[in-house]
Amino acid sequence: MSDFLLELSRNPTARKLIKTAGLPVPMPQALRRAKGPYPERPLHDHAIVYGAATGGAMAPTIALTLAKAGADVHLVGEPSLREPFAEPGEAYGRPARFIDLSELPDGFRGQGMVFDATGLADPVQLRALHDFFHPLGHRLANCGRVVVVGRPASAAGTPRAAATAAALEGFVRSLAKEVGKRGSTAQLLTVAEGAEARVEPVLRFLLSPRSAFISGQPVHVDARAAWPGAMAPGSIPMVQSLQGKVALVTGAARGIGAATCELLAAEGAHVVCLDRPQDDALCSQVARKIGGSVLLADVSDPSAPQRIADDLRQRHGGVDVVVHNAGITRDKTLARMKPELWDQTIDVNLAGVVRITEALLGQGGAGPMRDGGRIVLLSSIAGIAGNMGQTNYAASKAGIIGYTTKLASELADRGITVNAIAPGFIETRLTAAIPVMIREAARRLSSLGQGGLPQDVGEAITFLATPGAAGITGRVLRVCGGALVGA
Amino acid sequence: MSDSKRRAVVIEGVRTPFVKAFSELLKMDAIALGDAAVAALLRRTELPRDELDGIVWGGVILPGLAPNVAREIALDLRLPARVEGHTVTRACASGLQAITSAVSAIERGDADVMIAGGSDSTSNAELKLPQKVVHALAPLAFGKATPMDVLGVLSQLMPITEVLPKMPKIAERTTGQVMGEAAEEMARRNEVSREEQDEFAVRSHHRAAAGIASGRLRKEVTAVETPDGRTVTADTLVRADTSVEALAKLRPVFAKKGTLTAGNSSPLTDGAAAVLLMSEDKARALGYRPRAAFRSFSYVGVDPADQLLMGPALAMPKALDRAGMTLGDIDVVDMHEAFAAQVLSVLKMLGSRAFARARLGRDEAVGDVDPAKLNLYGGSVAIGHPFGATGARMVTTVANELSDGNKQTALLGICAAGGLGAGAVMERVE
Repeated sequence: MSDFLLELSRNPTARKLIKTAGLPVPMPQALRRAKGPYPERPLHDHAIVYGAATGGAMAPTIALTLAKAGADVHLVGEPSLREPFAEPGEAYGRPARFIDLSELPDGFRGQGMVFDATGLADPVQLRALHDFFHPLGHRLANCGRVVVVGRPASAAGTPRAAATAAALEGFVRSLAKEVGKRGSTAQLLTVAEGAEARVEPVLRFLLSPRSAFISGQPVHVDARAAWPGAMAPGSIPMVQSLQGKVALVTGAARGIGAATCELLAAEGAHVVCLDRPQDDALCSQVARKIGGSVLLADVSDPSAPQRIADDLRQRHGGVDVVVHNAGITRDKTLARMKPELWDQTIDVNLAGVVRITEALLGQGGAGPMRDGGRIVLLSSIAGIAGNMGQTNYAASKAGIIGYTTKLASELADRGITVNAIAPGFIETRLTAAIPVMIREAARRLSSLGQGGLPQDVGEAITFLATPGAAGITGRVLRVCGGALVGA
Repeated sequence: MSDSKRRAVVIEGVRTPFVKAFSELLKMDAIALGDAAVAALLRRTELPRDELDGIVWGGVILPGLAPNVAREIALDLRLPARVEGHTVTRACASGLQAITSAVSAIERGDADVMIAGGSDSTSNAELKLPQKVVHALAPLAFGKATPMDVLGVLSQLMPITEVLPKMPKIAERTTGQVMGEAAEEMARRNEVSREEQDEFAVRSHHRAAAGIASGRLRKEVTAVETPDGRTVTADTLVRADTSVEALAKLRPVFAKKGTLTAGNSSPLTDGAAAVLLMSEDKARALGYRPRAAFRSFSYVGVDPADQLLMGPALAMPKALDRAGMTLGDIDVVDMHEAFAAQVLSVLKMLGSRAFARARLGRDEAVGDVDPAKLNLYGGSVAIGHPFGATGARMVTTVANELSDGNKQTALLGICAAGGLGAGAVMERVE
């Protein structure tokens, strides 16, 4: 299961040798990942280069986010660019400074680059992207972060503006492929008008090592989900933000589920670890390690939803975070697929998820799910792109996306967000079973040239579970290292 | 401000000369220095020894074999056996902590007469053996060792690099950052220039020198007799003749292109300071003239990984709030000068509306500190900084200024390792 090329690339001598010899061997960059719970200042001592198109509206939000997160901001552009950065810089001791692109010191590397493109309204103005990023081409540190901030094309006032806004997505997806070989990522953050107050935690996440395996991804922030009454904008908790919350994770015994349990617990959540009775030993081990609870149930069992709802209400007084992670594959081409294989897959991956969610919500909202909660469902790249031999699996995972979209609108008034995660190639027991050649090809397909770790998916789930993710609902977040061809 | 009727008052303070570490006071450890300061205080105030209830002492580099310095001082000076003692440590705020602990005890009614202060001898910092050596040597140290034990120990003590004693340094345990590096980072983060720092340092030296020349500071200092028979009478670090030009020639010491030099940082210093505190009633009954009292004090913590020495920017406003005052009500501001860069950073924060909004949750800045009111007789950059003694030195100087200089109110600020900050408001007692 270990990635030989990744191991090799960690050896500086081997790396140099292969590079000098010009061997056609991909040398993926070992990714920088987060350790420990969310820190107060995730960007401490990070050099972040900032630029903006004229007329951009996001500067105050970005300036405050960067200063609070501890970043050292380097500005590129007109002197007026500094104005929104002055006050946050002074308050947090992170004064923004101008850098001259033509006279950058040789060793200068930015850990991140943020470009406010909300001012772009006409296709000819897109040149601003080239002007900013072109001279910075080789100045992004390994495992660096690029975030372009724009407005959603769907909300554009004119077709012209829509064309401009949509262009950003193509730019970012391609840039992601170019910077990926050095472990860096690029994302497009689109912000609906009026959702500015919800951007800070999202931007923090995208610039931090926690988004290591997310790349080429449009992330949309809006104000659809009701703002939890108790939380004033600007006072969103950034550390230990799941204190006092109860989280349910299905399929908790191993892989992504186990990693997610640990990460949720690290942010302060009490995690109820759910898995099948035959995985009692493994599941209990996870729960013991994080001081969580165990709940044994088979998610495809018709009596399970009620039992889970009752348990959460009686033992924990309710539930705030639900992660539907349990899933199975029963791969066969459709011609060879027996009906049981079809049924099992649909039942566990989709029908069971729907039944449990309904029980947790209850008739008229009488279930244990609390207002301001978070529902995260595991979809898959297969559900988006399709996969040979996975008609059943892809159907179930595409179904999850449809469910996510509709449920999100229904629950927005209660401040509950619903999102799907679509993992790409993740190093788990499931993918270790893939024949070696196919496995190797799948790994190298992504922009980052490697598979992700369960932790990477867990980080994305955990972020969507935090109060800070209030601006994201009804969306699919791919955690695939930019694996989707053309995506 | 205490609501109770009892009020603790400062009667008198005295300190040893502050001298460069590894020089004149080399042979005196923190206890010996404390003995000298407390003995001088008792002599000057002619305090009847039976009246003394206890000693609270502050220290940072505590003697490993006798860490309760306060009690050792009481025993060394042959004070009545019932004079109890306890020792506090709060990094560079240890001296102020000792005093506010004594104030609290008096105002609670637990004591009537206390001596509080602090001392530190960087010259007598103990070399720390790596834990590996300590564990390996345990069978030899605590039992009857056989030759085989000796061989066993020797075999454990390799390689040599792992068993050499560690040089003591003022580094943060959590971040590993040396304090000067943290101050260097603060200079950068708050845009404090080398020139500003050097000017501040020169002013500190000139004011301290003037204070010594006029006798104003000299009266707070007692001569100390060292074990080898010499007498040290005066501070040795203050330089009346220094100038911005002279300081500009010094090289940065904490970073290649840095701005902090030996000239604008406080030096490693040996010394002690002690203050006599009483309840106001007791002072009147014994015929002492109280000089000052504490209206409020506050201690805060900040993340050491952010701006290690910014604590006073939070603690000073908090102390003002507790005293029901604003910066405008204050006649004298005294700040511990760990580094010129650190004081200037904190002053910028106090004067910043953006800082007040983001970090203090208030709309207006705390205010700009008038340089004419700040550190009237210099500070730690010029006079020196024996960690545990500085708080008591500041309280002494401020109390004298309030009583003899005819001022009403004073604000103190001290930064300390671990991201700690201290603030206090003192007032004149009529």
